[in-house]
Amino acid sequence: MTDHRDETIGAAPDEAIRNAIVWVHGDCLRPGNPALAAAPGAPAIFVFDDALLDDYGTTLKRLVFLYECLLELPVTIRRGDVAEQVLAFAHGHGAERILTTPSPAPRFLEIGRRLDAEIPLTVVPEIPFLAYDGHLDLRRFSRYWKVAQRYAYGQAGLPLDEDEAPSRARVDGRGGPVG
Amino acid sequence: MARDFADRDALIAYVAAQFPDAAERDANVAPVRGGRAAAERRLDAIRPREYAWTRNELSGDVTRLSAYLRHGVVSLGEVRTAAIDRVNRRGDVRKLIQELAWRDYFQRLYAAGGDETIWEDQEDWKTGFGPEDYADTLPEDIRLGATGLPCMDAFIAELRETGYLHNHARMWLAAYVVHWRRIDWRPGAAWFLAHLLDGDPASNNLSWQWVASTFSPKPYVFNRENLERYTAGAHCRTCPLLGHCDFEGTYDEIKGELFRPMPWDDASAHRGATNGKRAARR
Ligand SMILES: Cc1cc2nc3c(=O)[nH]c(=O)nc-3n(C[C@H](O)[C@H](O)[C@H](O)COP(=O)(O)OP(=O)(O)OC[C@H]3O[C@@H](n4cnc5c(N)ncnc54)[C@H](O)[C@@H]3O)c2cc1C
Repeated sequence: MTDHRDETIGAAPDEAIRNAIVWVHGDCLRPGNPALAAAPGAPAIFVFDDALLDDYGTTLKRLVFLYECLLELPVTIRRGDVAEQVLAFAHGHGAERILTTPSPAPRFLEIGRRLDAEIPLTVVPEIPFLAYDGHLDLRRFSRYWKVAQRYAYGQAGLPLDEDEAPSRARVDGRGGPVG
Repeated sequence: MARDFADRDALIAYVAAQFPDAAERDANVAPVRGGRAAAERRLDAIRPREYAWTRNELSGDVTRLSAYLRHGVVSLGEVRTAAIDRVNRRGDVRKLIQELAWRDYFQRLYAAGGDETIWEDQEDWKTGFGPEDYADTLPEDIRLGATGLPCMDAFIAELRETGYLHNHARMWLAAYVVHWRRIDWRPGAAWFLAHLLDGDPASNNLSWQWVASTFSPKPYVFNRENLERYTAGAHCRTCPLLGHCDFEGTYDEIKGELFRPMPWDDASAHRGATNGKRAARR
């Protein structure tokens, strides 16, 4: 599976995009989905994961919500075993590549591996919330925030508050406690 | 599957027919609409300054963007941009951005640790009890919203009918389930995941663990005063249990009754209390 760490779709050859299908999953149901954007007009599919819905005891309201999201996207909607359905769809379109977007779910990785074993899968990156690749201590939110707060405002050129300058200096300096 | 529907009722009927198990578990449909257009209406309505002052109140200016964020109908970055566009100084968006960051934080933990992180105790319980002291199934009265406590039953009804609960209501309900009823956080978390439109294994389970104390330095509890204050008395004012409900008392009294002393506790909080009395009552 191609991960954004070693390749972005921008670097992929044109034919690959022409012969691609897009697998849309439940973590990225917006029209601006980067995988859809990377291959405009490519056939796209969403699959309701029957086993997962059962595992989670999903109730009707969630499915209606998801369905309403899907109706605004250019996707074929199927259900069943996700990898099987996506592969069948890809073969049906003669696809040589599958594009999708990232997810932290272990199930996503497992499905991704099954797809990639048959047809190369490219995970098109999303713009991350924090434009920061370095180490983040995740043991407690406060430790994460100590570093994350420097990036959490994005590119905004908002002025700092009066009370903020010293606290920033403290954090940027020797990593004191978050104020 | 079908894509053309005359109206929302036709869509609902179709989805219910296609997924009869889901409809049988609970046939409620949320008033909230899925899709980008609905999400953008919410995005246009966010008020970061008011959010900072009122977010803890049940009627406060929260964004209600969670289901859209959970499913990537909008991204955290888009919400941040929309928020920043409405203010002139950082201080006015800090609170909202920090809450958005909680989501980013939980997603990172999930990416790093997978199912183990979200379904297993991250740390020991700090309640004086061990994992074996907590029931591993959720009783019917909780599932159905028939606990007899008007506030809890109202939250449960809202969860089932709308698939949404305010953050404070989630905290109170989770604390009631885990600490007052002494039920393991896992069945509670699974129950929320079945109903919440924003149900997210990382945000949900780690929040349950935070309430339980397996992902925080101490268990989260509340008292009636706290609930009354942030609900503007909506449940307490007309409650037949007013003055003698399970949530009456100071924090120390409540902790004394719910938990066994931990080494770092102030011993006086437990003086004269029968440990676990409240939980044992039900
Ligand atoms: C027991 C319990 C279970 C929870 N389960 C979930 C869940 O399954 N899915 C979920 O998205 N949130 C969950 N939360 C976190 C929080 O309650 C909801 O994100 C929030 O109430 C959603 O309402 P809102 O969109 O109006 O939030 P706002 O206050 O307007 O916040 C904006 C966004 O920031 C994020 N956010 C805010 N607070 C938190 C938080 N504490 N943790 C993580 N993200 C946050 C959400 O994406 C939210 O939509 C849970 C909290 C508790 C205590």
